[in-house]
Amino acid sequence: MTDLPVDLPPPRTRGPIWFAWQRFRSNKAAVGGGIVLAILILMAIFAPLITPAPPEGQLFLTEALAFPSPAHWFGVDNLGRDFYTRIVYGARVSLSIGFIAAAFSVVIGIPLGALAGYFGGRTDWIIMRVIELFSVVPPLLAAMLLGTLTRGGYTTIVFIAALFGWVQVCLLVRAQVKAFREKEFVRAAQALGASSWYIIWRHLIPNSVSPIIVGFVLAIPLAMMLEASLSFLGIGVPPPTPTWGQMISEGIDYMFFYWHLALFPTAALAITVLATSLFGDGLRDALDPTLKGR
Amino acid sequence: MLGYILRRLVSVAVTFIVVSLIIFLMMHSIPGGPFDANDMPVSEAVRAKLMAQLGLDQPLYVQYFRYMWGVLHFDFGVPYQSPGETVLQLLSRAWVPSLVLGGLGVLIGAPLGILLGMAAALNRNSWIDYIASALATLGLTVPVFVTSMLLILIFAVWLNWLPASGWPDPERWILPVAAYAAIPLATYARYTRAAMLDTMSRQFVTVLRAKGLSERRIIFQHVLRNSAIPLVTVFLPMFIGTATGSIFVEAMFRVPGLGAYFVSSIEVRDYPLEMALMLMITFMYCIAYLLSDVVYALINPRIRIGGAE
Repeated sequence: MTDLPVDLPPPRTRGPIWFAWQRFRSNKAAVGGGIVLAILILMAIFAPLITPAPPEGQLFLTEALAFPSPAHWFGVDNLGRDFYTRIVYGARVSLSIGFIAAAFSVVIGIPLGALAGYFGGRTDWIIMRVIELFSVVPPLLAAMLLGTLTRGGYTTIVFIAALFGWVQVCLLVRAQVKAFREKEFVRAAQALGASSWYIIWRHLIPNSVSPIIVGFVLAIPLAMMLEASLSFLGIGVPPPTPTWGQMISEGIDYMFFYWHLALFPTAALAITVLATSLFGDGLRDALDPTLKGR
Repeated sequence: MLGYILRRLVSVAVTFIVVSLIIFLMMHSIPGGPFDANDMPVSEAVRAKLMAQLGLDQPLYVQYFRYMWGVLHFDFGVPYQSPGETVLQLLSRAWVPSLVLGGLGVLIGAPLGILLGMAAALNRNSWIDYIASALATLGLTVPVFVTSMLLILIFAVWLNWLPASGWPDPERWILPVAAYAAIPLATYARYTRAAMLDTMSRQFVTVLRAKGLSERRIIFQHVLRNSAIPLVTVFLPMFIGTATGSIFVEAMFRVPGLGAYFVSSIEVRDYPLEMALMLMITFMYCIAYLLSDVVYALINPRIRIGGAE
């Protein structure tokens, strides 16, 4: 977030980005969320530098289930692995699934939303009926079926999360395109003989950048939650890859005696999802003040 | 209005059929069956007999039509996991804990959320507003098993005030109900605050103030009523989402409700039960959205149903 002002035009001609940045900056919760998210991303990227122990190595078997101590900040898990290392590496899985799935959601959602919004009529009807299908089936149940069908795994989770994430992006883009379709500059382009594809690609999608960014950021926590939920149920990313959902599910069994095994992954997931959501909400309010509070 | 409802019913029926087809196909394309050798070591002859008895030797489309024909007669088959009862009996037995806990969660969480949202809207930018926003964001973003885990750790493990799990005695209900209540509380706090702020900025409120109405009458008679529309329409889908039980809350608190069957029916390929669960949820959501739309039109005469979107 901090490199945003670099792209600013000279101060006298203040563009929409400057105003968005001002609005974003005044939202303390969003800035806090952004900072926490940035720290988490850095931790995920530089995980090997932060903790020298390998996340899957059972180096501390003799100290298995040890409570947090200066040597092991978050204690040691039941299989003798440093729990702090597991949590840090868990951020990799969670964040990368969140970002990749959100990117795919955007890739699916933009064209469908633009088509539905621009052409309306039958195209819109079909796409809206598909969305209706997605709205009556609880995503988690369908994801469980799909997860079992494909036997889980990293790629599958990304695919499932994108499959349920595109709806939101599609609706946002559709609304924006619909609103801009009747504007004069689009009429002018049509009068000049521009093709529909050209108008969508050159005029309508660039004008939908704000909802696209918002849709992208808001899809991240949803994908992370889906991954955690599926891993919790044992049909997500398989062990020994460290994921928070898996650790929480294992932590339940140890909760009453070795509380650290339950607390740290729970807190890590809660903080990450919360920070991302706050950041996304702030970005939405900053980029599109008319959407505020929705 | 009647025409609209009829058209919506047709669309609900089509949605329902499409969803049932997709689920049926997905369910049957999961590799393996209910009588695989490693789970159920029976001889080949017994296996074949079982499959024939359950109709699993028929082509898929026959199985689908047979099942759906049964569904039309409220016959959802016999669950493979517990062949001594019908799917309907199993569902009505397992649903009780889910309905009690989830229902209580919504019935407690929603009014609290409305109160919190009102307090936040009436005292904008005060500490109560910030607390309400923080609670709303937490409740809406943090997965329910995280809330459950924190509740158990705090109230059962550290403070030792409440039992962490179990079902029959009401003192064991407190923590799961609190976990369930978090979502409606957060949703309603957020919606109520936004709706009330939106209404209070309308011109008619200024007019009422200018006419000298007391602030209390303005809020309770005019602002609240006009803010109620979004609150009414989100209620039904939310109630269904919560009152069918959460796999996670029930797993965390060891509640013998519907949740476990969602997982186990997929795991052991209990086709009739799985299909019944999915169809039931889909059906309830369809009806809930339809009812919400109708209620929306009834309480808001400005919205003309059936016209262009």
